[in-house]
Amino acid sequence: MRVSAVPAALRAAGVDTRHEYQHLFSIYVPIAIGVFAAIVLAMGFALAKYTRRSPEQAARWHEHNPLEGGYAALLTLVVVFLLYLTFTAEHRVDTVANQQQPAVTINVTAAKWEWTFAYPAYGITHRSGTVGSEPLVVPTGEPVRVNLSSLDVIHAFWIPYIRDKHDAIPGSTQVITLSFPRAGTFQGECAEFCGLRHSDMLFNVRAVSPAQFSGWARSGGKAPLP
Amino acid sequence: MSATTAPPPAPAPAPQTQAPRIGGWIGAATSTDHKRIGLNMAACSFVFFLAGGAFALLMRTQLAQPNMQFVSDDTYNQLFTMHGSTMIYLFVTPMAIALAMYLVPLQIGASAVAAPRFALAGFWTWLSGGLVMQSGWLVGDGAGRAGWFSYTPLSNGTNTPGVGQDLWTIGVILAATGMTVMAGCITATIARRRAPGMSLLRMPVFTWTELVSMLMVVGSFPVLILAMALLYLDRHGGHIYSGFNGSIDYQDLFWFFGHPVVYVMFFPYLGAAAEAIATSSRKRWFGYVPFVGSIMMFAALSMAVWSHHMFTTGGVTNQYFAFTSTLLVVPAGIEYFDAVATMIGGSLVLRASMLFGIAFFVQFLIGGLSGIFIASPVLDYHAEDSYIIVAHFHYTLFAGSVFGFFAGVYHWFPKVTGAHLREGLGKLHLALLMIGTNVTFFPMFFLGEYGMSRRISRYSTHPGWGTTNLIETIGAGVIALAILAFLANVAVSLRRRIPAGEDPWEGHTLEWATSSPPPAYNFVRPLPPIHSYAPLLDLRHEAEDRAREAAGGGVGA
Repeated sequence: MRVSAVPAALRAAGVDTRHEYQHLFSIYVPIAIGVFAAIVLAMGFALAKYTRRSPEQAARWHEHNPLEGGYAALLTLVVVFLLYLTFTAEHRVDTVANQQQPAVTINVTAAKWEWTFAYPAYGITHRSGTVGSEPLVVPTGEPVRVNLSSLDVIHAFWIPYIRDKHDAIPGSTQVITLSFPRAGTFQGECAEFCGLRHSDMLFNVRAVSPAQFSGWARSGGKAPLP
Repeated sequence: MSATTAPPPAPAPAPQTQAPRIGGWIGAATSTDHKRIGLNMAACSFVFFLAGGAFALLMRTQLAQPNMQFVSDDTYNQLFTMHGSTMIYLFVTPMAIALAMYLVPLQIGASAVAAPRFALAGFWTWLSGGLVMQSGWLVGDGAGRAGWFSYTPLSNGTNTPGVGQDLWTIGVILAATGMTVMAGCITATIARRRAPGMSLLRMPVFTWTELVSMLMVVGSFPVLILAMALLYLDRHGGHIYSGFNGSIDYQDLFWFFGHPVVYVMFFPYLGAAAEAIATSSRKRWFGYVPFVGSIMMFAALSMAVWSHHMFTTGGVTNQYFAFTSTLLVVPAGIEYFDAVATMIGGSLVLRASMLFGIAFFVQFLIGGLSGIFIASPVLDYHAEDSYIIVAHFHYTLFAGSVFGFFAGVYHWFPKVTGAHLREGLGKLHLALLMIGTNVTFFPMFFLGEYGMSRRISRYSTHPGWGTTNLIETIGAGVIALAILAFLANVAVSLRRRIPAGEDPWEGHTLEWATSSPPPAYNFVRPLPPIHSYAPLLDLRHEAEDRAREAAGGGVGA
């Protein structure tokens, strides 16, 4: 399918996994820091106030079920809030993104210890890892469909910049849709331990503007990248 | 002994102090006294802990600088496989069982463990599993090298051939079988051997945490044993785990064990920290019934969260496992509430055991809160298999469980040996361990966030990675110093003994109502009446009330 025939204005912007991650991060992490601070302060208060008292001063009360019940209900509300955030973000990342019309489809195949990036619409094949260092070339801002598979053991396709990773498992193809919010060169790596040279199963991502990508792709990968 | 005899506090009818018939090494190795079995297992586990720590130091040396080749890639892969396997199958989990074997019969007023010969056989089966697994170092191609969870197809005969990986597989089968049998014995002891008056809701907090853990062992370890037996067959031409479904099935089976075991490695140390804090707060553990309910909820949920290890596979229903995993906030929150509320209003004594207990709660909290973070699939898509995960589970297992373990050691060492550990060395041990732990593991969150994946033996020169890794390696050295301080403390305390007596801390539970160390069959004198989960504290309160009454005041409310 030559997706480039679809006018750019009609194409949906890709789902920005980096943004989704950072949005959740910006809510989860402050809550965690707040909870940590509250508990440390409470313990510090107890240490400051109740140390060096005589044994007889130790209180005998040891339960307050309504208070704990209310507290548990509050915790449940926090759980509901976090799950709401997570489920809506996951819906965008997993479901909406995969329903989008992709600007390009790339077959990413992992094997010990290399990555093959095939662009079937353009007849381009790049390889990276222990066999080379040809990058994964993608357009910015547009949905990039990746058909992820493996030839031997389980690998994981991780691009830290876009905060996204999925497993390449032999015997199946996992379909994911990525989006790169800006141009640049980003590190990619195998994240699932896959044997002797797991550490060398690296690749680079070159994200370029849709026009530059289109020129590169139409030339069969021969036009120089910016 | 029947658990349902008449209510008055009957003395344990078992034979009194009767010396074991065989002495020496053979006697110690074949004794069916639960205390001897527990101590043997604790000692062996601790030796495995030192070995696993040595593997970690070698790994940290390799990672101290970019592109180091201190050990070969293949050796590094063996080191991290055996580090994880040693710590999980041979230290944290068996130590939890060893603590139960020693302490649970004492805490419930029993004279012996149920099925003691099974318990002994379980110990030897576990130990032989550990030795078989470690013997991989001696074979030509080296030890297991497919990671502590050894996913297929990496761990099959084609991708990881060799005897070392076979020995690893057999070792896991034997170790898990032994621990399952022992957990059965402990569960049966709690079911059948409680002293008269010791109803389920009068069992000490530590015993409850162990009961829940042992039920999880019995419920989940058989799945591991069968999964590993099938892996062995697969490695030898069985074609068990074929294709995509085979890979996912293996992961489902593995994590059906692998997540419950996380809580088996947590609850008993939570219980130990709880006993240390309650005792040194001179106040019984707050919110006993909600606490018991919360750990049961915790255990039930933990049997239903396993596929949060598999969010990135595309082979599981992420929302379900995100839901169960995030729900763990509720029981975990209750435990923290109870810990804080136990201290508030108490009369705190800042002993090493108490400080380790508090450190357990504070340090584990970082592991727990980061666990909520990675229970979200969208966040886990980045964190999975990165150093964020490494940081997270070391904050739960090392900064959590190991601190709880040491809280238990400082709390129960006088009971087990009759001698006090040195407080000063104990506090030095704690300070070094806290510094080392945080310097080692906290920077890992940043390395993971910025893209360092776990299990790589080398990394290239990214800005800041070399420095951060070097800091972590120095932290690992400080952890090693802390462990040396502990070993020195044990050596000094056993050589130049400061006698502890029966009940040095004004304990709450029945193990403090007998001599230190307890005699064969545990209790010589009749047990005190058991009206609550803190029977000895009840006695002290009654004595206080009587004294107050005698002095003319009213009875305390």
